[in-house]
Amino acid sequence: MNILVCVKQVPDSEGLITIDDEGMGIVFKGAYRMNRYDEYALEEALRIRERGDADVVDAVSVGPRRAASTLKRAIEMGAADGIHIITAEEPRLTPFETASLIASYARQKEYGLILTGIMAEDDMHCQVGPMIAELLGYPCASSVIFEEHRGGGHGLRVEREIEGGRREGLELSLPAVLTIQSGINRPRYPALSNVLRARAQKLIEIDAASLAPPAPRERLTALRYPDIAAKGVFLEGTTAEKADALYRALHEKALI
Amino acid sequence: MSVIVITERTGDTITQASWEAITCAVELAGKAGSLVTVIVMGRSIREEAERIAGMTGLSVLGIEGDALDLFNAEVYKNILVEVLPEMTPDSICLPHTAATGYDLAPALAVRLGASCITAVDKVNYEGEVPVFLRTGMGGKIVEHVAPTGPCMVLTVLPGAWPPFRGTPSQPGDVRLATSHRTPEKTCALGIREATGDGGMDLQKADVIVAAGRGVEKEEYLSLIEALARIFAKSAIGASRGACDKGWFGYGRQIGVTGQTVSPRLYIACGISGAIQHISGMKGSQVVAAVNTDRKAPIFSVADFCVVDDLARFIPAFVEVCRKHRGAA
Repeated sequence: MNILVCVKQVPDSEGLITIDDEGMGIVFKGAYRMNRYDEYALEEALRIRERGDADVVDAVSVGPRRAASTLKRAIEMGAADGIHIITAEEPRLTPFETASLIASYARQKEYGLILTGIMAEDDMHCQVGPMIAELLGYPCASSVIFEEHRGGGHGLRVEREIEGGRREGLELSLPAVLTIQSGINRPRYPALSNVLRARAQKLIEIDAASLAPPAPRERLTALRYPDIAAKGVFLEGTTAEKADALYRALHEKALI
Repeated sequence: MSVIVITERTGDTITQASWEAITCAVELAGKAGSLVTVIVMGRSIREEAERIAGMTGLSVLGIEGDALDLFNAEVYKNILVEVLPEMTPDSICLPHTAATGYDLAPALAVRLGASCITAVDKVNYEGEVPVFLRTGMGGKIVEHVAPTGPCMVLTVLPGAWPPFRGTPSQPGDVRLATSHRTPEKTCALGIREATGDGGMDLQKADVIVAAGRGVEKEEYLSLIEALARIFAKSAIGASRGACDKGWFGYGRQIGVTGQTVSPRLYIACGISGAIQHISGMKGSQVVAAVNTDRKAPIFSVADFCVVDDLARFIPAFVEVCRKHRGAA
């Protein structure tokens, strides 16, 4: 069985995110990196391979030219091949377009398992994984926090983390799609041998247009900053003055 | 034309997030002049269907089946794609939850050829036309999104709307249907409750001191503990990001997939305030927040906002408290 892990390149949360003058695009100053939830997904795939339940782990990313560095990172962590479905920088694709591109690539390759992060840290849709599953007709489990093979490798038993920290058990036949919740494992640091391999290895590049993506089904009408009309007050002054002000405020409300 | 709500159950009753989705649906239907139908699925749900119809005055469709006792995305969506088209929905609302919405909403949208807009926290109207607001980029940007087609699937962020409360003059009508569909590729195994680690403390605490990614180093943990010790019935909580760093067990996580809390006082330390976290704590009576970034979204829900470094502010605050206690 081979595994495909979907990885997305996202802006690092330490960077500066602003909205362009038209109010329709994001301007980002800072470093890009792999979506953390996808790191957990990749790590889980590598562990499945290492325990002997999979032969090959590939990573795929849909994104502009700069996303190549995230696929290199995936190879550094241990992915065999990095498949780059290349799109334009703008407009950003909707989850349905992204899922359709990945599904039309994966359809030709017969992966036994497709893993994604539960969501992307940047737009937090939680859509791409379940959509890939639906497009391919595979069963899907989201928010997976534990998985193991069962039945001689023909199926999986997973636990999904749901609200209130509860866990829901589910068995799935293969092929299947899982979206991985953070905390399922501890993602590894790249081994030197893989870092060297990533430097030499070429990515498999596919032009998104060649996969005949569908039209988007949602359109962005505007981007805005959140309304931080704070309902409360900013305590000003030196650290000591602010500490004193907070004490007095909480004391007044009989909270301290 | 109609607005459909697909509810989720815990045991025999629908969840709080489902009641919130009903509120969102009623708002949408009111603008569009559509009718709302609430769908509830389970092995034996007549009583719950009648209760919902009585409390809301809305039409309720109860779908019963032996395979519907536990949630199973495969069989749920297979049944829903049979019943939904004949109801000609323009909007289908689900809770944005890992329990049901994450799996169901994208799959239904693909099957129905519908738009899919998830984690909606507000609706604006351009005339009669709804535009859906959702938060991205860790709470730093609000996206305004509109569907391009006639049918859309929405997931409603927990905490964004209040649970539905109505005083209907008469109960809505209840329709019951039966489905014998069974899953072929999946098998639901049941739910295991959360393990002890901190969950109950958080529910009982008067004061919660919560740590976020801004808690950068291990030595910060003792600061958080020192701050919590100032208050009598206090507990320590954490954002998902802080749990992911390994500083705290996931039983202490506050927000979507973690605990929802409403203490008398909530002190957010180094928490930026992603909407997933805020939805779990915004019921707190008083919120104080400490963060180095003046633009952090947590400040939008805080009563008292402190822009400072935790490593400086917490010791100073603890010292002030000690001084006042000494004087008292």
